[in-house]
Parts: sequence; C-alpha cells; structure tokens
Amino acid sequence: MGVDYRVLQEAAKWFAVLQSGAASPGERQAWAAWLQQPDHAQAWARVERISGQFQPLASDAIGRSAGAMLHSRQPNRRQALKVLSVLCGGAALSLAGGSLPWRQWAADERTAVGEVRDLRLADGSQLWLNTDTAVDIAFDANARSLALYRGELLIDAPASRRARPLLLSSREGRVRSEQAARFSLRQEDGRTRLSVFTGVVDIQLDGFAIASVGAGQQAEFDRRHVAPLVAARAEHQAWATGVLLADNQRLEDFLAELSRYRHGYLGCDPRIADLRVVGAFPLGDTERVLDALAATLPVRIERRMTWWVSLEPAAKRVDA
Amino acid sequence: MATEGMVRQQMLHRLYSDHHGWLNGWLRRQLGCSQRAADLAQDTFVRVMTKDEDMGAIREPRAYLHTIAKGLLINHWRRRQIEQAYLDALALQPELVAPSPESQALIVETLLQIDAMLAQLPAKVRRAFLMSQLQGMTYAAIAAELGVSERMVKKYMAQAMLHCLLLVAED
Repeated sequence: MGVDYRVLQEAAKWFAVLQSGAASPGERQAWAAWLQQPDHAQAWARVERISGQFQPLASDAIGRSAGAMLHSRQPNRRQALKVLSVLCGGAALSLAGGSLPWRQWAADERTAVGEVRDLRLADGSQLWLNTDTAVDIAFDANARSLALYRGELLIDAPASRRARPLLLSSREGRVRSEQAARFSLRQEDGRTRLSVFTGVVDIQLDGFAIASVGAGQQAEFDRRHVAPLVAARAEHQAWATGVLLADNQRLEDFLAELSRYRHGYLGCDPRIADLRVVGAFPLGDTERVLDALAATLPVRIERRMTWWVSLEPAAKRVDA
Repeated sequence: MATEGMVRQQMLHRLYSDHHGWLNGWLRRQLGCSQRAADLAQDTFVRVMTKDEDMGAIREPRAYLHTIAKGLLINHWRRRQIEQAYLDALALQPELVAPSPESQALIVETLLQIDAMLAQLPAKVRRAFLMSQLQGMTYAAIAAELGVSERMVKKYMAQAMLHCLLLVAED
C-alpha cells in the first residue's frame, strides 16, 4: 500500500537486472542510489519478501525437484492422473534441481538418481552435478576445494586469484588447476576419470604431481597410476545440457550409462550387446530413450517388472 | 441491514436446497470419493456466501455453482498433483534422512503458494521466473531453454516480479 505503480515497476526492473548475476558496478551503484528514497526502499523490501518465498524450496532438494512441476499449469483430472501415473511409473526424474544463486561456503550437495543440477559458486565458477552425485564444496577467501564422493561433476572455473588454486579430490587422488579450466571428474569403482575441455589440469597422487592433462585430453587414474592419456570425449560434458551422446557406442555400454539415470535394472541380451548406438538422446526421459532404441535397432523392450527392463533381440520369423 | 441480510439468507437457503443434490452428485462423479465430494460441495456454498454479490442477480444458478465448483476442483487436483510430485521426489531421495512432517508440510504449502502466485502469468514468463528463482539457472541458460534472447529473459523476470508485487500490494 502507498507504493505507486511506477515505483513497483522500477523495483521489478532492478530485480531483473541484479538477478542476472551480470550487473555492472555502475548498475549496482545506480541501484544503491535508487534505494535511498524511502518509498523505493519499501518497494524493494517487497521484492525481497517475494524472492525470499523461494528460499525454503531452493534450499530443499526435494522441494526443488517437486517444484519442477510448477512449470506447467492448467491441471485437469486427466492431466493429473497422467502426471501421477508417469511419476508412479518409476521414470520420474527432473532436470529440475537448482541452485542458490550466491552459494558461498562449505556445503554438502547431492543429486538424486536422474537429476542433473547446476550451481554457481562464489568465485563465479559454474558447477554441474550429474545424476546420483555427492560433493562437498569449500570455497572461501583462502581455498577453493571440492570433494567428489560419488558420481560425476563438470566445472567451468575462472583463473585463480590471490593464489587460490582450484582443488578437487576424489577417492583416488586430487586434481588441481590454476588457469581458467573446464573439465569433468567422475568417480568410478576404484578409479577416477578426468576429462579436460579447456585449460590444463594436474593430477596429484599422494600429494605429488604425476601428470598434466591438457584441453581435449582424458585420463583415468587409481591410487598409484595414471593411465595413458586419450582424447576427451564429448559425451563427458554433454550430459550437463541434458543430452546423452552415443558415438558408435556398444549397446551394452550405452545401457549401462543410461541406467545411471534411473532406478532398477536395465540390461540387454548378450546376443545384441555389440549392436552400435549413435545419437543424441534426451536425459530427461529415459523411457523415451528406450523407445527410440527399439525404433532404430532390431531390439524389443521387455518389461519384466517395474524395476526390471531388458532389451531382447527383436522377434524374427519363427524358425521351426 | 438486518432485512437485507435476511433476504440474502433466504436466497442462499433456496440455492442450497435446490442445487446441493446435483452438485454433490456431479462432484462425486468427478472425484470418485463421496467424502471429498461432500467437502467440496460445502466449500462451493461457503464461497458463494462469502462472495459479496447480489444473489438476486444470479440468473443461472446451476451454471454459477458449476463454475465455482469447477474452480475448486481444479485447485483440488492441483494440490493433489503438487503433493504427489513432492512425495515422488521424496521417494527418490537416496538418503534416508526424511524431513520432518512439519518441514514437508511447509514445503508443499510453499509450492502451492508460489503456484497460485504465478498462475496467471504467461507460460514462458512463469517458466523463466521459476528457472531463475528455484533452479538458480543463469539468464543465458534460461534463454537457451526457452529459445528466446537473454534480453527477453530479463524482461520476463521484471514482468513476473511486477506481477507478484501487485499481488502482494492487494493484500
């Protein structure tokens, strides 16, 4: 009350400018000057109240992923039932997730199976967490460190300032970068895989630098050795955009990858394990991916139980 | 205005006795649950009662009640949908630490409030706002997702916030 439309309009505009995360120092100053007037400050308090309503959700993984469904509106009974059946079908997943815009210090972050989430870190780094991933983030004035416990991450980090190298540890060792770099790190059983897309990243085992991995290169390491470098694969960053890439991949390997995004068993008959898969598939809907496979390969989908899906050779002529 | 109030009472009573039966039946068919149907029928009449309208001006009582009940029904489905989405998200959590019932209720309530707040916005504006506020996506990412320019995303954000500000101002 008492705040006129024009002021509310200005407040909304300032909100849009500041929320972009790309406001210039000049814009920030102009906003601070605007805020000096009491009625402006009053309008701004409302902006913060509204924006604050999202806080309990943004900081709650479950609420956030449930919030994905707010994107669509106009429910009716049929639609509600459809949504329910889809969600109950076990293929429920959201590329929802999300992030608090200004995350700063130590934080535990986890993603659910099927969830891909991006976060912006205090130094301006962009971090993506792939499905079923757990990390600790410790970013402050002295250190920029992340610990990957499970799953896979992709980070796009600016160059270090004030001698704060970026340090990421996995169960096997540690990777370190001082330049601007974009790379993915994946925790596998007994080994870690590093794929570098820009910059240079060093691998340290037992605290000693063992190898430097440059842009376009990929390395796997365990506690003792770094395997010979190979070319980095595009699919190791494509997931961050919700795409599962297959470049002439064996069907069995492709399914193993796909199954990371859903609950339950997903596999195939050994007779078709070596069929080749090529394509870009949407990670948001693994059922659709399976349908696409059935449409392009000589396979059929056998749903034995809700949690048990197996691909079988497509039925051919019945040979007596 | 005792007399005016009495006339209103009588009309409401008439409306109730004439239409409660079919309304209840219609809701029961929609919901498949007689208890929920009775509740929603009741809610419909409460809504009529609290509306500051001249009841004598209601020419088509059936259509009028139908419209109100339909709105309530949609809210009901929407709530169910949101609650279910929450429960599903909860079931998908790898961790065993379940939030307390209070915090679950708080989150569902917040989801409903936000949903209601953004209901009247155009789809792209609502989505842009949610992607930014809920998912912390950058404008560039939102722009790519919606197939619009970043400038447009900024416009959407201002539009959504202004809409919310005006709603708050009405309270």
